[in-house]
Amino acid sequence: MSLDHSPTRDGGGWSSPGLTTNYDEGTARSRGGSPSKKYGDLMNGGSGHVTWAKAKAGSARVQRSNEGSFMRHMRKMSSGLPYFSDRSTYAEKEKLGRGRSWKRMDWRDLPRRVGLLISRRRKYVALLTMVLLMILLFTNKTVNYWYRRTSWLGGGSKFVIILGANQGGGVMDWKGPREWAIERDSVKNKKNYAAEWGYEMEIADMSTKKRYAHEWRESWEKVDVIRNSMRKYPDAEWFWWLDLNTFIMEPKVSLQSHIFNNVGDVAYRDINAYNPLHIAHPPNGTSADPNAPKYTNYLDPEALSAVGDGDPNSINILIPQDCGGFNLGSFFVRRSAWTDRLLDIWWDPVFYEQKHMEWEHKEQDALEYIYTNQPWIRPHFGFIPQRKINAFPNKACGDDRHVPEGGCRTLKADDPEAEKTECGIQGIHYQEQERDFLVNMAGCEWGRDCWGEMYNFRQLSNHLNRGRWERVVDSIRDYFKRRTEANQPQQQQ
Amino acid sequence: MPGTQFPYPRKSSTPTAYTPQRSIPLHQRRNIKNVATYIVGGFTLLFFVIWLLGGGSPKGPRIPLGTPEVVIVTPLDPNLSQSMVDKIQENRKDYAARHGYATFFPNTTDYDLMPSVPLTWSKLPSMRHALTLWPEAAWLWHLSSEALIMSPGEPLRNKLLDPQTLESLMIVDKPVVPPDSVIKTFSHIRGERVDFILTQDQEGLSVGSFLVRNGEWAKFFLDAWFDPLYRSYNFQKAEEHALEHIVQWHGTILAKLALVPQRIFNSYIPEPDMRNTYTDGQYQQGDFIANFRGCQKDPTRSCDEEMAPLMSRWRELRDSQWKR
Repeated sequence: MSLDHSPTRDGGGWSSPGLTTNYDEGTARSRGGSPSKKYGDLMNGGSGHVTWAKAKAGSARVQRSNEGSFMRHMRKMSSGLPYFSDRSTYAEKEKLGRGRSWKRMDWRDLPRRVGLLISRRRKYVALLTMVLLMILLFTNKTVNYWYRRTSWLGGGSKFVIILGANQGGGVMDWKGPREWAIERDSVKNKKNYAAEWGYEMEIADMSTKKRYAHEWRESWEKVDVIRNSMRKYPDAEWFWWLDLNTFIMEPKVSLQSHIFNNVGDVAYRDINAYNPLHIAHPPNGTSADPNAPKYTNYLDPEALSAVGDGDPNSINILIPQDCGGFNLGSFFVRRSAWTDRLLDIWWDPVFYEQKHMEWEHKEQDALEYIYTNQPWIRPHFGFIPQRKINAFPNKACGDDRHVPEGGCRTLKADDPEAEKTECGIQGIHYQEQERDFLVNMAGCEWGRDCWGEMYNFRQLSNHLNRGRWERVVDSIRDYFKRRTEANQPQQQQ
Repeated sequence: MPGTQFPYPRKSSTPTAYTPQRSIPLHQRRNIKNVATYIVGGFTLLFFVIWLLGGGSPKGPRIPLGTPEVVIVTPLDPNLSQSMVDKIQENRKDYAARHGYATFFPNTTDYDLMPSVPLTWSKLPSMRHALTLWPEAAWLWHLSSEALIMSPGEPLRNKLLDPQTLESLMIVDKPVVPPDSVIKTFSHIRGERVDFILTQDQEGLSVGSFLVRNGEWAKFFLDAWFDPLYRSYNFQKAEEHALEHIVQWHGTILAKLALVPQRIFNSYIPEPDMRNTYTDGQYQQGDFIANFRGCQKDPTRSCDEEMAPLMSRWRELRDSQWKR
């Protein structure tokens, strides 16, 4: 090892008080690296005195120069050391007259010292505070809720869930314990979901009231309810209608991430993609009679386009289609002038008078009728695959066609086999494997067991969304179960 | 010795008292600080100028030059005599040429109205067709083929379409269907918000002459009015009663409607045998429109004969006003 130059103190390149201080002589506290007398004598050409100016120059030099961090830490460590050193050394240091008094440990001084510590390690304190705040932000329910609600952050208050409770109840029918249980479960499910994501929640009492019972409008109250909600939540944008017999299976999935962040990809505008009603699309301004003489097509290009203007922002309604056409068990409408008009024209006494015998599903059939016959509707209409927001249980709308092993992802695009499965737009039935978002026990009141289905789906949802700890417990339990099962045949023998 | 590490940092062994610690020297920093104000200020000024200049341009789609403000839509029955058709077209084309409007004369049989539906319904697909053909036009004016424009010098903008004029003309708080409908026209509605201007005669809403503002609402309104279930309902007065129905039942339509006095743009010519003189709305000299209501439908009447005196009067007016 060769040295370039001798480690002179005034040379400055290597003034390292931490290393050069002689601990035995009690100069360890010499912050700023003023050398011990002995050392000074040696190096400063035997001047014998450490003058104030010299010491000052040395200290300034040391504090300013860019030494390695190791050196700085050494200095800090050394400045802390006298706490634990021998009492006798203090006398020696006092002679220098530049140290602080460490004779008595004053506890009243503690706050100041902590403050000093913090002020010295500002960077680390700030970092720590940030980390703590972040942890708080992501775990604290109130903070989370507030964040998710705020329109310019999470945007949860832009969504309103409208749950139609008590359907057909009231003056027409009394509810039994099972109906109460269904209602309780369903309402709780949506309330939790709304609270989780900061959505608005509106429970609409759909019981047949006297004012509707002797009027024509029964079952069109849905329209009135949506309108009232739009008035009640003037800042909300999307309104999600839900029938009572629905269950949100994936409460950890937000509507934004599930649908609205890329509504253009999720929704389809061209009804020809899946058209169980065989509605002629796009409209051509004639009554679709092939034998009729050739009439002029009077519609504008946008109405004649299969996909409207193609801009996802122009979608004002999202309707799922089951095997028999539109399904209004779970659908979205967006606040807009267009929606006002649709809600306004949806029920009309002249339509009703002519069609009420024919329109078994009332407002659903009316909407299909308006879609078919009034071209202004179509450029703002969006359809959403049924399984996205309105999956049916098996037996509703035919039998479950299942998905292939390994899920729908294994199917290639345009695979003819897809038609026979529940994959893609024509999929209707709930697929546990695909973790469908919502299940709608449509038609369960006719010959199926509503409460049983609701109970099973609730259990399944809880099971699918159980926490990590529960998964561990479950796997251990499964392991022992398998072991006891394996042992049982041996015991029998 | 090559390859060996020096145990000491390679720094000058005789440093200055104040070694700069910052990567950018202090004096440079000061310079940046001084200049920064000017940079930020300059950018702000630039944006302000852009904003000032940009703010002046109109928002929304640009209307191409040469777009007519109003399209006059007159559906013509193919059974009309050619001379009659010529007169009607001449009357409208002259007016349109004066004010830069467009005219549109579709046949009533051009559109699929469904079997056994009165041909008068065809005014609705005609209007919708005009929307398609003139997507930039501001207003569509349906003027029945039974009516004549009698003051060719007056543009619709001055007469009716200017929001202030319209507000001063519109009849508020009046039963939509006389005499005692519970549904009344809105008492507060701004001229800019009105999308549908029409008149009322003694019996109800009159669709001989009405204006619709181009836009999404117009499509909704015309499509809803033209709904097959209204056509098949056999309203006694076909589309006129259908209109009365939708106006009374649907608030989104009523909210866009303005009633104006009948003689503003839909004066009636009394029937020849004075069965009906239309006291309030009777045509008087100087009125804008002369509507020979019912002259085509009634086999005992002849539009050609009835129109003859006013037609010659209109020719005089036309020639005198062109000269000026």
